[in-house]
Amino acid sequence: MNTKKDGLSYAFFFCQQLDAAQDLNRRSLEKELGPRIRFFPLPCSGRIESLHLMRALETGADKVYVIACPERACRHREGNTRARKRVAFAQRLIAEIGLDPDRFEFLVASALPSPYIDKVARELLARESQVDPLPWGNKEREAPKEILRKEKRDDYRGEKAPRRNQREHRLL
Amino acid sequence: MITAERKPLAEIKESIASYKKLLILGCGSCVAECASGGEKETALLASQLRIDAKKEGRTLETKEMTLDRQCVYEFIDQLAGVIGEYDAVLSLGCGAGVQAVAEVFPRAHIVPALNTTFIGQTKQAGLWLENCRGCGDCKLDFFADVCPVTRCSKGLFNGPCGGSKNEKCEVDPDTPCAWQLIVTRLEERGKLDSLEKVHPPARWSKKEGKGPRKIAREDQRT
Repeated sequence: MNTKKDGLSYAFFFCQQLDAAQDLNRRSLEKELGPRIRFFPLPCSGRIESLHLMRALETGADKVYVIACPERACRHREGNTRARKRVAFAQRLIAEIGLDPDRFEFLVASALPSPYIDKVARELLARESQVDPLPWGNKEREAPKEILRKEKRDDYRGEKAPRRNQREHRLL
Repeated sequence: MITAERKPLAEIKESIASYKKLLILGCGSCVAECASGGEKETALLASQLRIDAKKEGRTLETKEMTLDRQCVYEFIDQLAGVIGEYDAVLSLGCGAGVQAVAEVFPRAHIVPALNTTFIGQTKQAGLWLENCRGCGDCKLDFFADVCPVTRCSKGLFNGPCGGSKNEKCEVDPDTPCAWQLIVTRLEERGKLDSLEKVHPPARWSKKEGKGPRKIAREDQRT
């Protein structure tokens, strides 16, 4: 797997029905790639909005995947259909500003139950990279580390401690 | 509701080319319903413009705000403490909203991001159809609540033209024949004989020829 070679950053939006233990299964990849990979489990792929994809791009993801349940297997009947259309709309928006629409990719799992999310993600990352790094680099990707470092109580000697559960800005 | 569509991005970019700080202003009413200028669409356009600026190495700072209605002064007043901090306002309101904001803040440059199109209804999710032209002389009661001014391509008041095919208009085969709808509905209501009345031509002076129209209600004024 050449995830470290290409140096790209990835965002994975996926229906959590695909992997009931996704919270555990994705940790190894998160540990391996750090801020270069971000997973966003969704209650249904139909919850995705074009804005989520745009914001992922804005905050440094070079490639964004949306992984949905197979056709006619969505437990909300047409969530995967809606997701496909919203990804297509987001692709038109970035094509309008001269970016490669392939930066957003919509996929359906081949069957349910699907392989664990980290296996799916690794297979996708192992594919030949079809997009280039974003022209403005990945400076935003480093920001979350800084926010997390500041949240450590040791850094606040004598200062007001941060609120509990204060976390980096989330896309969803 | 009033419907609108977002302008081509190239046109918007040309209008805001010289600005570095933009207030992007949505409207929560008609344009939100037709998915062109609501909070979501405002955020999408702002994101698109920011990404485009990054790509071209430009600086662009944006703030997004959505008013409940951009055409009502009580809502526009919410901009009072904010608008001065920005070089221009990119408005995703209809033509009425853009002009109303410009009236309250005449020194601000209000740039329209939408092309206002027609008065219509939501036929289904993602589909809006024109059904009113604002002629000022509503005749819906005579025509089973189907407007012949708007929905008949030929604007006929006294029966069908006879050119429809399979209940579709001969001018636009995607459009249902308005007179087919009128006759069908009058039949269902048992009022087909009302078609025997001859209707004179519309009084277009109620709509055109006298400049911008107004409604004044003294009981509503302070």
